[in-house]
Amino acid sequence: MVKKDVLIIGGGPAGLAAAVKLKKLGVESILILERENHLGGILRQCIHDGFGLTRFKEALSGPEYAARFVAEVQAMDIAYETSTTVLEITADKKVTAVSQKGLQEYQAKAIILTTGCRERTRGAISIPGTRPAGVYTAGVAQAYVNLKNIMVGKRIIILGSGDIGLIMARRMTLEGAKVEAVLEILPYPSGLPRNIEQCLNDYNIPLFLSHTVTDIKGKARLEGVTVSQVDEQFKPIPGTERDYACDTLILSVGLIPENELALMAGVELDSRTKGAIVDENYQTNIEGIFAAGNALHVHDLVDYVSLEAENLAEAVAEYLRQGSLPPCPILIETDSLIGYTVPQKISGLKDFQLSLRVKKPFQNCSIQISQNGELLKAKKMRKALPAEMIQIKVIKSDFLTNEIANLRISVANS
Amino acid sequence: MTRDVRSYDVLIIGAGVVGCAVARELSRYNLKIAVLEKELDVGMETSGRNSGVLHAGFNNKPGTLMAKYCVEGCLEFDQVAKELDIPFKRTGKIVVGFTEDDKKKLYQLKEQGERNGVPGLEIIGREKIKELAPYVDGEFALYSPVTGILNPFIYTIALAENARQNGVDFYFANEVLAICLANQENQPACYQLTTTKATYIGRWLINCAGLNSDKIARMMGIDDYTIYPCRGEYFILDKKAGDYLKIPAYPVPNPKEGGLGIHLTPTIDGNVLIGPSSEYIEERDNYAATQKIMDLLLKDGSRIFPYIRREFFIRNFAGIRPKLVSEEQGGYADFVIEERTETPQAINLIGIESPGLTSALPLARKVVEMVGEKEHLKEKADFNPYRQGILCFREQPLEKKKELIEQDPNYGEIICRCETITKAEILQAIHNPLGVETLVGVKNRTRAMMGRCQGGYCQTRIAELIMQEKGKEPPEVIYARQGGNMFTGRVRD
Amino acid sequence: MENLTRNFICILCPNSCEITASFNNDGILRNIDGFSCQKGAEYVQQEIYNPRRNIATSVKVTGGELPLVSVRLTKAIPKEKIFEVMTEIKKVTLQAPVSLGDVIISNVLGLGADVIATKDVPRI
Ligand SMILES: Cc1cc2nc3c(=O)[nH]c(=O)nc-3n(C[C@H](O)[C@H](O)[C@H](O)COP(=O)(O)OP(=O)(O)OC[C@H]3O[C@@H](n4cnc5c(N)ncnc54)[C@H](O)[C@@H]3O)c2cc1C
Ligand SMILES: Cc1cc2nc3c(=O)[nH]c(=O)nc-3n(C[C@H](O)[C@H](O)[C@H](O)COP(=O)(O)OP(=O)(O)OC[C@H]3O[C@@H](n4cnc5c(N)ncnc54)[C@H](O)[C@@H]3O)c2cc1C
Ligand code: SF4
Repeated sequence: MVKKDVLIIGGGPAGLAAAVKLKKLGVESILILERENHLGGILRQCIHDGFGLTRFKEALSGPEYAARFVAEVQAMDIAYETSTTVLEITADKKVTAVSQKGLQEYQAKAIILTTGCRERTRGAISIPGTRPAGVYTAGVAQAYVNLKNIMVGKRIIILGSGDIGLIMARRMTLEGAKVEAVLEILPYPSGLPRNIEQCLNDYNIPLFLSHTVTDIKGKARLEGVTVSQVDEQFKPIPGTERDYACDTLILSVGLIPENELALMAGVELDSRTKGAIVDENYQTNIEGIFAAGNALHVHDLVDYVSLEAENLAEAVAEYLRQGSLPPCPILIETDSLIGYTVPQKISGLKDFQLSLRVKKPFQNCSIQISQNGELLKAKKMRKALPAEMIQIKVIKSDFLTNEIANLRISVANS
Repeated sequence: MTRDVRSYDVLIIGAGVVGCAVARELSRYNLKIAVLEKELDVGMETSGRNSGVLHAGFNNKPGTLMAKYCVEGCLEFDQVAKELDIPFKRTGKIVVGFTEDDKKKLYQLKEQGERNGVPGLEIIGREKIKELAPYVDGEFALYSPVTGILNPFIYTIALAENARQNGVDFYFANEVLAICLANQENQPACYQLTTTKATYIGRWLINCAGLNSDKIARMMGIDDYTIYPCRGEYFILDKKAGDYLKIPAYPVPNPKEGGLGIHLTPTIDGNVLIGPSSEYIEERDNYAATQKIMDLLLKDGSRIFPYIRREFFIRNFAGIRPKLVSEEQGGYADFVIEERTETPQAINLIGIESPGLTSALPLARKVVEMVGEKEHLKEKADFNPYRQGILCFREQPLEKKKELIEQDPNYGEIICRCETITKAEILQAIHNPLGVETLVGVKNRTRAMMGRCQGGYCQTRIAELIMQEKGKEPPEVIYARQGGNMFTGRVRD
Repeated sequence: MENLTRNFICILCPNSCEITASFNNDGILRNIDGFSCQKGAEYVQQEIYNPRRNIATSVKVTGGELPLVSVRLTKAIPKEKIFEVMTEIKKVTLQAPVSLGDVIISNVLGLGADVIATKDVPRI
């Protein structure tokens, strides 16, 4: 049994940022466990630029952004093990990991879960039809093309307008494939507007909103799909079917935080984010187990992932110093137009970073934070999109004093 | 073009569970045997697309082959599972009912089962249902303690591998196109089979072609059988749903329907299946899932298992019953296993629908018996009934895990994270005894890519390992079936 | 009189500002509105008269831990040159090791941008 103050599970941008910050705060006994043979997480395959605009004021590619943190980890001599998969964690913070070197057990004082997310699959959205080769999720296609030097297809339909799908539309076009169309079941895109612009419009790839794939054809390899328009209940409208010949269907239909380890330790999840329910310290319901990054909730921007992990590191450092963190009895409630918030509860004793998403697009709205019916703070926004995570710094002095009353977050048209 | 000509004592057409069981049982004797299969692996049709239930035999009419073989196959399975080293559980099963009419039917089923020789049948009330299956709804139920569950892929693979070990040759991508009977007087009969790849000559012909068994019979001039394909669709639910269901739960069957009704079955690996539907179709290989049926499954399944949630769905699939009765006739026809005088030494197994999985070995022994009636069968001294499967790392205790990694560091590298499948297991699957090279072949042998992420994490690695180990370029990697190439080429040559 | 407008989505940062440019009858740019920073205004000017883009792709590597190294341009190039530049990039094969920041093609097609590696590919 190897003892560590902090074990970080997952060496993506969240894990790396947490490690660097912890070390800066004087925590020495840190170990990062990463199952890939390199640090960097999903960013290693995101070779497009657009990372780090907020943090570094530069348009870096994913690998470059990750490399900056890896360099810091190495310069600061922070211990890490790659090619090591964590198999199990427990509520008393025992961790079991395997690698080619063997099976290792650890005892930690704190565990940080930065295990990232997985993609929603065809089965999860149950598309009718056959099951031929040639149906890929966007991240898998991206890994084949950018890491393995493998072309997955030549004539492509993309289902879902998530950012990875948009990025892949452009990527495949640059490599000589023909992207016939991108289909989105919602009446608005789920990816960022800038990606619609530079990945689709630049290459004349049509985007059909309120459309979905209603049949998949081909016995061995994909031969085509049927596309239909949908009504407000997302039901296909008969008579709107159109057939496309294609050899590849790329799905970009959502990401789901990866939390199997968390569940093993008894961590409670939020049914909205599919990540852990955390307080302002990013601590889960299990004392000493913390979570950040895409494992906590799916982020659109890596810059915010790094920021979140650094905030988490401060709390973990305090946890190690004090042995515990103050209770967080104040719940954060939302109205029906707010998708979720992170954190879900706070102490009321300190400033915190509020992350949230709206459920549908808004123009000229304001995000309001109130307590006991009294408006504490409002953030005016020219537009708010479900694709974009909204960040609000909430300062302690914003609160009513000495009150344990829940905060309510709502959105209002102004 | 010259064609390879290969000679055997016995040619088996079809590598489903029945063909593989026949191969395995015949491999006990001094015979040169080949199995010809049109797909790239065993169990790619009905045998890999079913509920995976080892039926007890109370659903079948007394006196039928179905009843006889099902009971026999069920009761002997502990020994079979041991020999073939396959996972198998006698979970028991409940058939739940709500109305008085249901109750009457359950008593009839019980009585039928008892006449067939099914042990331990019992009518139970709400309380016992709650005890056996706390999340299943029902007023009363027929409880069958001997019913079991198994992984039908692994079972079929295990039979084939054991046959292979004992000398049987398997030829994949060999679709039988024509059969010629050379039946000269004073000469033993012999059959010439033309496949898409080669020509095979054999003294015995065993037709285990499942959905195409009528077509194969027709190639021999027997034209009085017609298979009516009847599709059954399923949903597979995440292992999280598996926590809520440990025992198969069926509704009271509608005898006219020719299926057992939409039921819930825990799989041996801990998932839950909802299905199958029952729908007569035109094409025999149309495994497409339809929106209409998906909606129906959800509705009917929720009736007895209200705990179904959308987020549990991980995928769907369909199987096709090779029925000998049309939609109008309804119900079941018995298994056909026969040798006709006009086609001596050709044994046809036709209409092997449910409970064909359970009955495969008894059917195979019947084939052996029929061959034995015509010629003396000499047992092989070195026949080995034991086959070893791929050791599942995940299921080993901690100390054993450590030991395995020490022996082979590849056990320390997790390739499939959802199912915790190691590189060592994947490599064993890639180098399987049957020489199968498809991605789905690895999936069915290891469970890699079957988890909640459906290969999102591991598929790229497994494809890469197949290329490395088998010296393939990307366009040569096949997903499941011929023509199902995974990739079109390299990004940079 | 302003009677012609064109809408743009600024792609320079995640804000994705919606910017409107108005022209007079002679097609002369009169007004730009909706940006949140100077870069946005410049972007729209550029988009009207000489749209430019950066591209990210891969270059083949032999003898490395990975078969490809990811690359991008040091600055944006005229949009209509994208596929010509792709053709140039496809011609290159590198020998590992490759380091992040290595210039792989300098001043590609004389456009003033370099193609640079965006990750390390060590030798195996
Ligand atoms: C395809 C894609 C495209 C994106 N494009 C952009 C963009 O253009 N701009 C932008 O700013 N942001 C983008 N993002 C968002 C941003 O990159 C991610 O939010 C960020 O990478 C998340 O970081 P993370 O550390 O939480 O997760 P990850 O990067 O996924 O890292 C998680 C790490 O944990 C490891 N791990 C998981 N389980 C275990 C275990 N059991 N044992 C050991 N290790 C484990 C994984 O191997 C992985 O390395 C994109 C995201 C994706 C998925
Ligand atoms: C929905 C469903 C649920 C079921 N559930 C159960 C259950 O729970 N328990 C149970 O006991 N039984 C069950 N069954 C029945 C069981 O699955 C079948 O009886 C059994 O799998 C039949 O096996 P087989 O080998 O005869 O057929 P198959 O598995 O279809 O094998 C036939 C093989 O022949 C090959 N073939 C066909 N034509 C040619 C040709 N011309 N040349 C070469 N090869 C050819 C095919 O490719 C195939 O591999 C179920 C069936 C269905 C459809
Ligand atoms: S105008 Fe400025 S703030 Fe707005 S998107 Fe462009 S760069 Fe970003």
